[in-house]
Amino acid sequence: MLLHWNGLGWWRWCLVATTAAVACFLLLPIVFIAALSFGSSQWLIFPPPDWTLRWYQELLADPRWLESAWTSLKIALVVSALSVFVGTIAAFGLVRGAFPARNALKAFFLTPMILPVVVLAVALYAFFLRIGLDGTITGFVVAHLVVALPYSILAIGGALEGFDKSIEDAAILCGAAPLEAALRVTVPAIANGLFSAAVFSFLASWDEVVVAIFMASPTLQTLPVKIWATLRQDLTPVVAAASTILIVFTLALMLVVALVRKVAKST
Amino acid sequence: MRSADMGLVARPARAVRTLRLSPFTLTIPASALLIIFFTIPVLVLLLRSVLEPEPGLGNYAALLGSTTYLRIFSNTFIVSAVVTLVTLAIGFPVAWTLALLPPFAGQLVFGIILLSMWTNLLVRTYAWMVLLQRTGIINKTLMGLGLISEPLPLVNNLTGVTIGMTYIMLPFVILPLYGVVRKIDGSILQAAALCGATRFQALRLVFLPLVQPGLVAGGLMVFVMSLGYFITPALLGGTANMMLAELITQFVQSLVNWGMGGAAALVLLTVTLALYALQLRLFGTAGLGGR
Repeated sequence: MLLHWNGLGWWRWCLVATTAAVACFLLLPIVFIAALSFGSSQWLIFPPPDWTLRWYQELLADPRWLESAWTSLKIALVVSALSVFVGTIAAFGLVRGAFPARNALKAFFLTPMILPVVVLAVALYAFFLRIGLDGTITGFVVAHLVVALPYSILAIGGALEGFDKSIEDAAILCGAAPLEAALRVTVPAIANGLFSAAVFSFLASWDEVVVAIFMASPTLQTLPVKIWATLRQDLTPVVAAASTILIVFTLALMLVVALVRKVAKST
Repeated sequence: MRSADMGLVARPARAVRTLRLSPFTLTIPASALLIIFFTIPVLVLLLRSVLEPEPGLGNYAALLGSTTYLRIFSNTFIVSAVVTLVTLAIGFPVAWTLALLPPFAGQLVFGIILLSMWTNLLVRTYAWMVLLQRTGIINKTLMGLGLISEPLPLVNNLTGVTIGMTYIMLPFVILPLYGVVRKIDGSILQAAALCGATRFQALRLVFLPLVQPGLVAGGLMVFVMSLGYFITPALLGGTANMMLAELITQFVQSLVNWGMGGAAALVLLTVTLALYALQLRLFGTAGLGGR
């Protein structure tokens, strides 16, 4: 009765109203920021007195914004590739292994996801100050790799668990070397998991703020650090313009993921 | 079918082809990475809390003996608890409705939830800073409706932090709860109705007990994530209303007091791990954390 529309009576209107309200609540800030980025008010007054592209011009005219976006992109791509590579190897070991500490190791690999990221940020900051990695691209990549790796291991491990190992064994029986069978039979079969791992790792790095604040130097900033530093000074509409571009990227990425999933399902 | 393109791929060198690694060996690169760049730095940070400036528990005495710091702890716990309760109260009906909605409407709501979740954290926080400011749309609307005569102070205080955190945590409650509700067998509720239960009785005696594990797991996860949140409280709370994560960064960045920073980090870690252990004991699975 409670899981059928007809049995709910007037309750259904309460449920639909709550859901509609929550959907608006979730959508409101995103739509609002996108609208204000075209508004002429320096103080982000709504409704804007006039419409303008001024904030986008200011954004694109400032090389530091583009530089930080480029830095973010470079770091996120490298992190994504490394995370999938290391994650695949580790997932193979975890899923196929029967060694005693397997479950403990699994839990260990997921700890960076559970522990508050601020603790990791502060701890790595101290460590990198000592070994001279703070404020370097390498430092960024290593720090973000620690954050991204659990997502990779989860996604690839999940795909690998769903794969029937006897297919790989069949390839070996037919004369393939173990590594060859893994690379040519299993890896293509878990492509979906690898793709998810790559997307999650990319986003984990691209969107990461807390660790990045500590890894950044005045000359090396990622886009989130640039936004953070700007926001600490004032609520300029230039950030609204940058935000809108990021929102469009998010939408595009969601569409790509949905399309890839659809294609993967139909083949 | 695949043989055509198999022929095009160069065969790995013989040494590589015959290479055989034990599963344990395969986990070594990831373990090494995490031990060097995660476990050891965190342990060193915690150690510094009992070694700097001099060995002993002085940092902990200072941390727990000062009303300023105790207020920060209580702020953190109160905000996290309120956010947890509010997200559960709002998230449960939404998850319930999602299980009932026709495919198109359901996908639309899911799309909105995912868009909000995937939008950069700073962008979402910035949006709330603008929405909640004195001249922001919320104050303007309320004043336009004649509900208030003065703008409400919605930002640079814990109200702002709670609103922003609720916004960010909602998807983390809705998505797992939806999974729980979907798995419930509708015929159990039919049975309750046939036995003469009113809707309210069926909700209280059958439906809620079935959803309860999901509510507890989701609530624990949101509470733990909120305790360690840094960005949103720092931007929406202003400097006067600090939370624990911000305190840690203040110790380290502004005061360069690694001992106190380590001590505050240990407090946060202990609470987090204790609640995580509770979750593991209750459900045997790891919740998916966030930032």
